[in-house]
Amino acid sequence: MTTTIKVADTPARETPGETSRVSKLPNKLLRMNWTGGGFGWIWLFLVMVPIYWIVITSFKTQANYFVTNTFAPPSHLTFENYKTVIDNEIARYFLNSVIVTAGAVVPAVIISFMAAYAIIRGIGSRWLRWMNNMFLMGLAIPLQAVIIPIYLIIIRLKLYDSLLALILPSIAFAIPLSVLVLSNFIRDVPRELFESMHMDGATEWGILWRLTFPLTRPALVTVTIYNALGIWNGFLLPLVLTQSPEKRTIPLALVNFQGQFGVDVPAITASVTLTTIPIILLYAIGRRQLLSGLTAGFGK
Amino acid sequence: MTSLAPPAARGKPSTGAGGRSGVAWMALPALLMFLAFGLVPLIGVLALSFTTWDGIGAIHASGLTSWRAALSDPGLLHALWVTFEIMAISWLVQTPISILIGVFLAAFKKYRGFLAVLYFVPLLLSSAAISITFKALLDPNFGIGAGFGIGVLKQDWLGDPRLAIGVLIFVVSWQYIPFHTLIYQGAVRQIPVSMYEASQIDGAGRIRQFFSITLPQIKYTIITSSTLMVVGSLTFFDLIYVLTGGGPGDSTRTLALEMYQKGFMANLMGPASVIAVILVLVGLLLAQLLRRLGGRGDESMAEGV
Amino acid sequence: MSHSNLSRRNFLGLAVGTAGAAALAACGTSGPSTASGSSKTAAGYWSLSGPPGQPIRQAAVDRFNKANPSTKITATFFQNDAYKQKIKTAIGAGQAPTMIWGWGGGGLKAYVDANQVVDLTDWFGQNAAVKQKLLPSSFGAATVNGKIYAIPIETVQPIVLFYNKKVFDAVGVQPPQSYGDILDLIPKFNAKGIAPFSLGGQSRWTNMMWLEFLLDRQAGPDAFNNVFAGKANAWSDPSVLEMLTKVQDLVKAKAFIKGFSSITADSNADQALLYTGKAAMMVHGSWSYGIQQANGGDFVKSGGLGWMNFPGIDGGKGDPTDTVGNPGQYLSISSKSSAADQAVAKKFFSTTLIDDAEKAGWVKSGGVPVLTDSASLFTGDDAQYLKDMSAIASGAKVFAQSWDQALSPTVAETLLDNIAKLFQLQVSPQQWVDSMNGVIGQ
Repeated sequence: MTTTIKVADTPARETPGETSRVSKLPNKLLRMNWTGGGFGWIWLFLVMVPIYWIVITSFKTQANYFVTNTFAPPSHLTFENYKTVIDNEIARYFLNSVIVTAGAVVPAVIISFMAAYAIIRGIGSRWLRWMNNMFLMGLAIPLQAVIIPIYLIIIRLKLYDSLLALILPSIAFAIPLSVLVLSNFIRDVPRELFESMHMDGATEWGILWRLTFPLTRPALVTVTIYNALGIWNGFLLPLVLTQSPEKRTIPLALVNFQGQFGVDVPAITASVTLTTIPIILLYAIGRRQLLSGLTAGFGK
Repeated sequence: MTSLAPPAARGKPSTGAGGRSGVAWMALPALLMFLAFGLVPLIGVLALSFTTWDGIGAIHASGLTSWRAALSDPGLLHALWVTFEIMAISWLVQTPISILIGVFLAAFKKYRGFLAVLYFVPLLLSSAAISITFKALLDPNFGIGAGFGIGVLKQDWLGDPRLAIGVLIFVVSWQYIPFHTLIYQGAVRQIPVSMYEASQIDGAGRIRQFFSITLPQIKYTIITSSTLMVVGSLTFFDLIYVLTGGGPGDSTRTLALEMYQKGFMANLMGPASVIAVILVLVGLLLAQLLRRLGGRGDESMAEGV
Repeated sequence: MSHSNLSRRNFLGLAVGTAGAAALAACGTSGPSTASGSSKTAAGYWSLSGPPGQPIRQAAVDRFNKANPSTKITATFFQNDAYKQKIKTAIGAGQAPTMIWGWGGGGLKAYVDANQVVDLTDWFGQNAAVKQKLLPSSFGAATVNGKIYAIPIETVQPIVLFYNKKVFDAVGVQPPQSYGDILDLIPKFNAKGIAPFSLGGQSRWTNMMWLEFLLDRQAGPDAFNNVFAGKANAWSDPSVLEMLTKVQDLVKAKAFIKGFSSITADSNADQALLYTGKAAMMVHGSWSYGIQQANGGDFVKSGGLGWMNFPGIDGGKGDPTDTVGNPGQYLSISSKSSAADQAVAKKFFSTTLIDDAEKAGWVKSGGVPVLTDSASLFTGDDAQYLKDMSAIASGAKVFAQSWDQALSPTVAETLLDNIAKLFQLQVSPQQWVDSMNGVIGQ
């Protein structure tokens, strides 16, 4: 039974099925947390300023851009940046980024989860210990260093200029950190739980999904978001491993607006706005799920 | 019941005998992927560090030449220092702020949904977008200084060696604090109110509660979040490259940038590979450190993992 | 547990679905891109994207393909920095396109040393008509060890001193005729809160222009030629130390806009400083004219922009007509490409790249083509500018290539690094010289 903390109301709406607990100490608690609150509002301001800037710049013309105050709303509102961006097939790049990110993160997290489970459950095995150390070596591989060998491998596999070329190395690079975080987490699941399921005749695979998966949800969510961020923003892999415009991802598309002699900032801010809005919507819709995923439940 | 650590009573850790034989195969997919696209290239890089190569011609095996060249370069030590500086300071900045805001958000009810979405937007922006945005905002002549007309804002934010690192860390934090805030928010919401009520009865003030209850209960969250922060900062590249290019001079040149400069700009792939190997070793070291902190500790360690 | 059962099933289902969709979507193409040089069906041509050059380059490819239906050239464009990285990776992995775009000089030499580009000396010998259509001064940067490895293309880009006429009028001063005049102007502009010089210092090559001019005006081209030839301790020439000291004096005298070390040339913020009147002058490439025109409103049209060659130094040995910059852009042929592709490339060189449409296109973009006899096309508003640029380029006894392009990439990187530190006052002139002497000839 998960319980809530401190404040008057419970998030009963957010975690269905929980018993609500109304705190008896509203006033004292509402007087609380000036530090946290203060920080919160300052942070909000700091967050809003750049976002505001991005939005208003997207409506300015490139010519006007330096001449007027950077924070002033556009004197001549123009939609031409949005038109430029859409003409430049931003929708396709967005789709490519989505395919690459989802196509890499989901398998990466799943196989990392399986590997973390194996490493913790199979403690005595020499192989698994060796495997674990190997994964650890991959934590800090700088992408620029290994890009040429990867390039060659991709060419040999005849995958050059495909989205799969982006997906496969991304999965590999996501594994070390995911295994580290997930195995740290699984390590603390009490052995009795595993034993009891085992005695009920469950297979390891069954234990993996029926017991460990729900318990590890917070770490899984964390690792998924973290990896998704990294892959979504990846620039070097798309640059080197793809070529045709149809295979471009968003970071490459943004760079497209950098001409030989200058950056078209309004166009860039327009594409940033366009590509961020769907994600914001997604987040707004899925936020509750996300938050409940981060709070582990047990024995409900 | 804390989050980011399995909730039940903390008994013996899950190591030990029982049904192990069927488990090893589960690690196979990850192993294969990592071998193909992680380990093999890594071995390639190690091999390259014993060569001299300009990236376009023939590769010449050259023993320890590149190693000697790289290790005797004062730039390497400087890069190591800059890397650790950035790692340490961004941890020091991001962790307290994320915890505080996470605690705040876990409790603050009004407009929670709206605020939460707004807070999270920096994370949803791509790194390229963020670097370009801040580069423009921090322009010494056209940025916020001129924009707001406030004198003190008219600094040479990215061009003054003393300010550049701080500003860099600010931008990194701007992007990642929402992420860590989210994690802490989830963690704090897990802490049972009963603990606070009990301590209240014992006369504990809010600050005392924070340090004696909140922090210990989210210990594992702190470790997970710190792991991601610290390891992530090692290979951090894109943001620094756009904002300062490693400058002014070399004041923000981390190991990753030093490697890029040596390899792709100066065409010295041998020494660049050496730096890459060093990066991998540093990562390995950090991982070991974090495992000691993060594991239940010594029981697990003693079992020979 | 029902809650988690559901989510587990959903999760797995999502996983399988995503993986499947990804695999299907991802298997669009396989194999090395057919546009790369190793294919049989199309010759590849990689170059820089964005205005003003991309449309002209694409137009040339289109013209060629139309006139030669049995063959095909496929053009792919990349942003400047991205291009530099991609071409290196491609060549390093043996996947270079048929035609390699570049800046000549040291970069080209690196390709030559690695046997990656085709020797075109004989080809030019047999196609004298082609050679005659190109400015002779542009071949310098295409020549390595006495042989020609690239064809000069596109435009000639000398570095020029631009100034804001309106600002000069407002402050009541005249454009500088000598370096001494520049020094006098600095305090006058600073007193009015206007930066004497705009500078995109983070890009580093912008700083380098100052060193190039000051050294040439002071001592002529010999000092640098010795460096270029790889003579030991060539940087220890006393004129170099003098030049470096002059540079640091400029920095200390606040000749450059505040915050120059975080301004990049890419952002065009340095250009904006000039047309908004925040800076009085700017030393930059001739392509700045186009940017001032496009972004500065009617700044150029109303006659606000002035330009001149960098003035001489009184008592200096250098010829004030000398100039530095990009004597052209260059296209080489990958030696790893097939014979058929190489033939296509050569045909492209000898027909389309020297035709009149090409010439007209570059003039229209505000540049001086590397093709001869362009003067008749200099009409309209930009006529005076183009004529002056052409005069500077052809009138210069010495048109030195930018140092970071002339030297090998390894040395160039050390050079730029040291220049940045010089401007930051982080190294002394002697330290600078010692550091550079350490890498001569590498």
